[in-house]
Amino acid sequence: MIEHAYLIPLIPFFASFVMLFGGKEDPHSPMPWVGIGAMGVCLAIAVSIFWAAATGSVALPYEHNWHWFSLATSVAGRSFVYDMPVGVLIDGPAAVTLVVVTLVSLMVQVYSVAYMHGDIRFKRYFAFVSFFTAAMLGLVASSNLLVTFACWELMGLSSYLLIGFWFEREGPCEAQKKAFMTTKLGDSGLYLALLLIFAKVGSFQLSQIYQFFDKGLMPATIATIIGIGILVGAAGKSAQAPLFIWLPDAMEGPTPGSALIHAATMVAAGILLVSKTYFVFLASPTAMESAAWMGLITAFLAASMALVSYDIKRVLAFSTVSQLGFMMCALGVGGFTSGLFHLTTHAFFKALLFLGAGSIIHSVHTNDMRLMGGLSKKMPITFLTMLTAILAISGVPGLSGYYSKDMILANVWNHDHMMFWILLFTALMTAFYMFRLFFLTFWGDDRDHEKFHHAHESPALITGPLVVLAILSAFAGAGLNSNGLVYKLIAKPTLSVMAEPAAAPAHAPAAKEEPSTHEPLAHAAAAEPAAAVSEHAAVHEGGGHGTHPEGHLPGWLHMTAIALVFGSIMLAFFLYRGPAYPVADAIKANMGPLFTLLERRWYFDDFFYGLVALSDKAAALAFWIDANVVDRVFVDGWGLLARIFAQISDAFDNLFVDSAVDGVGGIGNDLGVGLRSLVTAGQVQEYLMYAAIAFSLAATLILTR
Amino acid sequence: MTLAHYMTVAALLFLIGIFGALTRRNIIGILMSIELMFNAANINLAAFDRFLHPEGVAGTTLALFIMTVAAAEVVVGLALLLAIYRNTDTAYVEDYNLLKG
Repeated sequence: MIEHAYLIPLIPFFASFVMLFGGKEDPHSPMPWVGIGAMGVCLAIAVSIFWAAATGSVALPYEHNWHWFSLATSVAGRSFVYDMPVGVLIDGPAAVTLVVVTLVSLMVQVYSVAYMHGDIRFKRYFAFVSFFTAAMLGLVASSNLLVTFACWELMGLSSYLLIGFWFEREGPCEAQKKAFMTTKLGDSGLYLALLLIFAKVGSFQLSQIYQFFDKGLMPATIATIIGIGILVGAAGKSAQAPLFIWLPDAMEGPTPGSALIHAATMVAAGILLVSKTYFVFLASPTAMESAAWMGLITAFLAASMALVSYDIKRVLAFSTVSQLGFMMCALGVGGFTSGLFHLTTHAFFKALLFLGAGSIIHSVHTNDMRLMGGLSKKMPITFLTMLTAILAISGVPGLSGYYSKDMILANVWNHDHMMFWILLFTALMTAFYMFRLFFLTFWGDDRDHEKFHHAHESPALITGPLVVLAILSAFAGAGLNSNGLVYKLIAKPTLSVMAEPAAAPAHAPAAKEEPSTHEPLAHAAAAEPAAAVSEHAAVHEGGGHGTHPEGHLPGWLHMTAIALVFGSIMLAFFLYRGPAYPVADAIKANMGPLFTLLERRWYFDDFFYGLVALSDKAAALAFWIDANVVDRVFVDGWGLLARIFAQISDAFDNLFVDSAVDGVGGIGNDLGVGLRSLVTAGQVQEYLMYAAIAFSLAATLILTR
Repeated sequence: MTLAHYMTVAALLFLIGIFGALTRRNIIGILMSIELMFNAANINLAAFDRFLHPEGVAGTTLALFIMTVAAAEVVVGLALLLAIYRNTDTAYVEDYNLLKG
């Protein structure tokens, strides 16, 4: 089946065109089933590949290339003809990701049939979603970085189209522009990185570039530059700090679209890209460390912003950014497997969260959590599935998020203890804000009676995908984690020529970590005892599987982390369980500036708006200088100068040059007139006489010399 | 008899020819004077041949050829003269002023 892997991106691609150009636009068009059928086929292929890989009946990575075109090029002074191939490269991460993308896309499309029903651009929505899925699958499966980049841009386009799907309204229009421009800012970095790779390696083939790095031919500085470029691209697409500003606004699009693109798959493309080009980071410890810190900062900032938002989709968007930060951080500290494992589990439970949120919004017609409450009675299936996802993302033992997040934390612990404490704190914030969302939405009694009265459970087309995703959210982690399957499938790539190891990881002195946990938020107090416990308690002590020590925390720390997660949940329960939340309001009143800071998203938006406004001003100034200084002084002045010079030149010409020319002519003329006066009769003999005289004179002159 | 003698005779003959060409009014006389100058040149040719290359006859042969060519030339000249005479009804050169600007 793996030899038909190329069909996976192509089928939805054609399906999208069939849907876009076939049939008439109709709010009840049957066209979406074309996309759903196509995605079902893709899912079947992807699952068969995954199954073959998991049971070991097919050897990964599988690569197959076709000739695309040739171009003459020169690398390092040697010119040659490069045959650009196009093909598929299915390695372990790709096999897993293909299943995730096709599955989530299928669920989202089924869900959307009910959710988008009656929309005037019903058919177009599904065409966009299929198109997006095709691009995403192409990115995952491609063996050629140029094709990967093309798919990357096509995803950006689909994201733009879906955010602005309801383009009649102002919000989506602004949001789509913001998303497009912000991601393009990142893409420019990625593009430069790709060009640099091609200039150095002379190939876009991932396997060939890997060979190049594997032999240690790439200088560390160049690898660092390439790595940073890729990180900039990933920061744009995967909404990492400081380019995450677009993702919360991207929630203006249809909710299932957001679930697919801006929660589960497209935003993970940055992480995937980093994992595809992981050898670059292996060759450059600096790029690796940058990735870790970028992820860490993103995770922390986004989680803090999610604490105070009341818009249910915004909370989920911030949560997505934060979880992507977790993945990036995991990749950055060398936890390749854990990062991609979390990507997989996150795709399931975050898609579920978004679809659940969509179900709620569909039912109560508002995004504001303050107007919800008590919905568990009205929407039992949505309630139960959402609860599963919330437990999973919070890291409650047994569910999928627990395994992957635990593995990330363990990796970070073995890399740097300070980063671990920040990340653990972020994980606690995650549990807190997710349960805050849960209690505000489902718990207690209703707040808005009218909305509550109209609320109802969604139809089967909506709840069906929710149930499927809930099952996956619950068991995918345990399933992949059993027998070390995830380590087998998502094996960390290695370089035979390793760059010099980064400064000894872990073992940082205890004193350094303590200040970092003094965060001025309520439950930070709970984290402190953990920091106080003896630090050096055997980094490699815990872990049932001796083969993968980096995937396990020390036992005491593991227990502490789980206890702290439950503590956060209790805190959320305590603060937000009732119809009113006086304690939370009191805290908010006492810590006004901090809340304002978080609500204004750490002023990142203002910073970027300021940047845009500043560049606008700068451009206006530059234009003014151009019009008034450059044009007036230099261009006009230069013209004036040239004219004056030309006039001087003209006068000189008239006075001297022309007179000289005329004078020479005049001499000849005068001479002729003078000599003509000698001739009187005009007879031949007269001329002959002069000739004879002249001849005699000449002869005399010559002979008497 | 040295080369100088021959050259003196030739120079005298040439001068006579020049004088005649300049002073005669009748165009027939002018033609005759031109023939004299021709013959002065021929004398020089024969004399140089005789004194500088006594072993050969190339110079004298050339002089003979020139006389033949000169005769042909005179025929052309006389034909032109006859045409002019028919146009102007005169043989005096002071009346030939068609070329005066």
